[in-house]
This record gives sequence, C-alpha cells and structure tokens, in this order.
Amino acid sequence: MLEALIKIVVVIGAIMTAVAYFVLLERKIAAWVQDRKGPNRVGLPLTKVRLFGLGQPLADGVKMMLKEEYIPGHVDKALYVLAPISILAAALATFAVIPFGSVWPTDGGPIEFVVAPGFDAGLIYVFALSGIAVYGVILGGWASNNKYSFLGGLRSSAQLIAYEIPLSLGILGIVLTAGSLKLDAVITQQAETGMWNAFVQPLGFIVFLVAATAEAGRMPFDLPEAEQELIGGFHTEYSGMKLTMYAAAEFMHMITASFLIVILFLGGWHFWGLTGSGDQITWVTALIRVGVLCGKIFLVILGFMLVRWTLPRFRFDQLMALAWKVMLPLGMVNLVLVAAMVEYFPGAIVDRPLIVFLGMSGLTLVSLVSMAILAPLGSKQQPSTLDAEMT
Amino acid sequence: MSSESLLYAAATVLGAVGMWLLLPRPGERLRWGGAAMSVVALGLILSQISPLGDMLSQSMFVVLGSVTVIAAAAAVTFRNPVYCAIWFAMMLLGTAGLFLLQGAHFLGVATIVVYAGAILVTLLFVLMLANPRGNAPYDRLSWEGPLSATAGIVLVGMLTMTLSSVLKSPTLADDLPSALLTAQAVGSGNSDTEQAAARNGGQDILSEHHSASLGGRMFSAHLVSIEVAGVLLFAALVGAVAIIAHSRSVRSDKQTLAGKQAMQTPSTNGRAGA
Repeated sequence: MLEALIKIVVVIGAIMTAVAYFVLLERKIAAWVQDRKGPNRVGLPLTKVRLFGLGQPLADGVKMMLKEEYIPGHVDKALYVLAPISILAAALATFAVIPFGSVWPTDGGPIEFVVAPGFDAGLIYVFALSGIAVYGVILGGWASNNKYSFLGGLRSSAQLIAYEIPLSLGILGIVLTAGSLKLDAVITQQAETGMWNAFVQPLGFIVFLVAATAEAGRMPFDLPEAEQELIGGFHTEYSGMKLTMYAAAEFMHMITASFLIVILFLGGWHFWGLTGSGDQITWVTALIRVGVLCGKIFLVILGFMLVRWTLPRFRFDQLMALAWKVMLPLGMVNLVLVAAMVEYFPGAIVDRPLIVFLGMSGLTLVSLVSMAILAPLGSKQQPSTLDAEMT
Repeated sequence: MSSESLLYAAATVLGAVGMWLLLPRPGERLRWGGAAMSVVALGLILSQISPLGDMLSQSMFVVLGSVTVIAAAAAVTFRNPVYCAIWFAMMLLGTAGLFLLQGAHFLGVATIVVYAGAILVTLLFVLMLANPRGNAPYDRLSWEGPLSATAGIVLVGMLTMTLSSVLKSPTLADDLPSALLTAQAVGSGNSDTEQAAARNGGQDILSEHHSASLGGRMFSAHLVSIEVAGVLLFAALVGAVAIIAHSRSVRSDKQTLAGKQAMQTPSTNGRAGA
C-alpha cells in the first residue's frame, strides 16, 4: 500500500516536471528550426542568473496558475469544466501500468518500476484510457458552444476513432510474438532474444508509429486544433488553468506514445551488451536500464518535435483516407505476416535473427511498394466528392 | 412478513416512485423529491448487503456500486442526450471498476475499450452531428415511465435480495460462484484467503495469466459462439458497406441527371430564342 502510494507520488511528480521541461524543449527546438534564440532569459528566481532559460517552465506555470478563471457566458458550464479534468485524469492514469525501468533489487525482493505491477491487461488498459481521453476533446468542443471548437471536437473524434484501428493492429502483432498483454513481458521477450520488435516486424512499427502520432494529435495530424484553420480548435474558449490542463494532457499523450513506441518496438530498457537480460541484477544494472529507457524515450520525443516543424499538415480527407485505405490494410498484412511467422517458424527469432530481419524487411518493402502502386490516396479523391459522400 | 422483506418492499416502492418522478415527461416534475426518494431506496438496499471482506474492499465495492447505479439512473433521467451519454460513460467506468475489483482485469478493461471508447464516442458523434441546435420535444420524453421505473427498481432489489441471502446462509456459501469469493481474496490481499479462493475454483481469475487462459477458453470451449459472433459482425459490416454503396449510386445518378439538365437548359433556351 505504502509502496504503491510512494510510486504514484513519484510518477506524477516526475511526469508533470517532464511535461514542463518538454514545453521548454519544444520552444527551444522551434526556435532552433526557425533560426531564433528562443526563451533564454529566465533563470533562478529573484537573481540575475540566467541558466540558459531553464527557469522558464516555472515562470510559465506560475503565470498560468495566477490567470483569471474565466468561463464564457455561452458555454455549457458543467461539461466545460469536466472536459479538461477528464482528459488530464485519463492521461495521468495511463502511467499506472507503464514500466519506467526493470526492477530494483532489495533485500525483501525486487521492487518493480511500475505503479501497478500485477496488472495483467496493461496493453489494453493504455488503449482504453486513450479512448477515455477522446471525451475530453469532444466534450470541450461541444460545451464551448462555438463553431470552431465544435469543428475541432468533431474532427478529433473522427480522427481518434479511425486511428485506433491501425494502432490496435500494430499492438496485436506484438501480442502475438510476446504472448502476453503485460508491458513487462514484452520488454523481457525482446531482451531475451536480443531482437527488438522493430526489426522483427518493421511494417507493424511503421503502422504503429503513424497511428500513435495521430492518436497523440501531433503534427502532421493536429487537425483538431489547427491554428490556421480553427484558431485553437476544441480549446479555443479555454484559458488559464483549464488550458494548462489541456496542454499538459497533450504533452502527456506524446510521452505515453513515446513510451509505447520504445517499449513495444525499440526494446524498452534493453541495449545489447549493456543491460543484461535476467531479473537477477545489481543496482548498477537497474540504473543503467532506467537510463537506457529514458534516453530512448528522449530521442523519440525529439523526433516528434522535429517532425512537427518538418512536415505540413494533412487535409482532412487525406487524413481519413490514410487511416482507412493505407494504414488499415498495411496493419492487416503485418498481422498475417507475424501470425504466419509465429505459427510456422516458432524459433526463428532466436535461431536465425538475420534471416527474420531481412525477410520481414523485404516483405515490408514489397507491401509498401504495392501500396504506392495501388495509390489509394491518388488525386481521384477531391474534397468536393468527399463532401457529397459524407452528407 | 419478516422485517427484511418489508424493508425490500418499502425500498422497491420508494425507488419506483422516485424514479418515476425523475423520468423526463412533459410539464413540471418533482426532481429533487424523486432524487431524495431514490437515494433513500438505494441506501435501504445497500444496507442489506452483507460484508464482503475487509473494510477496504467493502468500501470500494459500495462506492463503485453506488456510482454505477446512480449514474445509470441519471443516464435515463436527464433530458439532454449528451448528458445522458456522459452519465452512461460514468456507469461504464463504475462497471469496469467493479470488474477490476473482482480481479477480472481483461473484462474490466475490455468494457471500457468497447463501450466507452468506441460505441459511446460514435453515439456522441452522431448526437452532436444530428442536432447541434437541441433536440425535438418527443426526444426528451421517456416512454412507459411507471412501468420501466418499476421494472428497473424491482430488478435491482431482487438481485440484491438473492445475492445477500446466499451470502448470509452458511450452508449455501460453498455453492457460491467463485467470483464472489475471489472478491474477498483480492480485496484482502491475504495469501491464505487467496489459497482458499483457489481451492474453491477461483484460480482462473486470480492467475497471473488469466487473459491468456481466458483466450484459450474462448477459442476452445466457446469456439462456436465466437464464430457465430464473428459471422454476425461480418454480415453487419457487409450490410453497412452495401447501404453506403447503394445510397452513393442513387445520389450520383441524381447528380448526373441534374448535371445533364443543367447542361441542356442553356442550349434549349438558345434554340428556343433562335
């Protein structure tokens, strides 16, 4: 009981701090891409020490908290207040099953770096909570009683429902190879074989990467809040603490997506020749594992942020077509490939890792090329015909 | 009549009248009176549930159960369909919590994924798209109010009565469904009670790999049901595609027709003018 409480406090504190500093990192990277300096003034409070702007998150947080709690007169008050709370709660609750490392050896038995270590259906739990997070967006959009917000909410619900399918198809391939719904078990399987799932099922990795980006609402999939089209999308009418909750939840979705990508496909805490594979470890190995996991997650998040300033946003019909006509078939192909491999060559991942890697990469290439030849996203789909279809 | 059955009868009557007062219908309704009566009825029924295990699991059960029942009542009594959908989502969360409390991890999480994550979001989507300006008066009424209120509260009362009488009688305790015993074991976290529950057939739920065993059970003992459900879903999918394809072809016919007329009109006019 006490152990669980301590873990909860540590995890929530760490995540909230990480969110604050990822905001700073995003601003810094935006500045770097746009050849500016970015925030570099705020350092230690009440002194003149600047520290490269590392005090900026503190100043931002204080500013947001001290802002007036303004509720516009035309909104549906109950749902307007409920929406950011629900999205933040769902985003925070996700971290209950996510492992932050392996185990910490103690005299009384190893302590796992998970808040809820015994939970058997961890993968589906993450998936379920990402479904709950949709409510925050559509309720916020609806309760705001504003056309832009409403459009953002509708776009978002359609997008999230559509991309949940390729996301789950990507997860199913992992469940087939790992044989468990526990995130721990997925990492352990990759560490024991030394083959990260990204090498075993590259097609699944691509599908999952795209779907996870869309689920997190990151560029190029940030249709729900496209500034240039919808002002701010579903959170146009929000300000102060409630807007902060939305922003924090959004960054948490990105962190969750990075955790899932790293844990499911990039080996979790495993790195060849550095972390070992068993449960019998010293505290040095435990620390290295946490470090490796955090490093990988940092790199993935850095990738997300660079993509934001690199790729242009999709049009809405392209977004939907990508989900249903490209990602869904590719996900099915990956599932069939992995199922066939698990059924007919059960020991191949351990015995002939190179052949598995080359074969799966070749098949991935074949499916991608045939998808490009079929070209379901071709110019036949114009917005006008799509409007006619949707009405 | 014993005092116990009197209590159940009072709770049922109170609950039925309270729910009926709460249900949306034309004109004024005594919402607060109905809410108070329903809450009293719920309290009476709750008081009859015998202790399940230790304090923690008991209080968790009472909280989750009350949340579920109250949210279910609210889901049918609110006038705004969006609010009804949100209360329904709350009820699903409560149900999922109850499943988790029993140790059925997969079932609890699957409830959220399927109902709250997919079905209800689609429903909300339709509600918001269909009438953003509010809804028609006939949508805001409930049909057969007295009958449905009575049926609902009688169901809750009967279930509680049956379960609590089974729990109270010592001879019947051996025949209990394993899930009830597992609730005690999971709640207390005591290894002795866990072993006792395992002896009573609760090991499927308490096992580390219960999702895997659930899958194995579903695709061996219940294979036919799974296949039938799969065929049904597939038929529904084909039907949906057929409906869309049909309406699309009809519309495109109309469009081409309208387009041809639009093309022809100026030329005929021109000819007439000439």
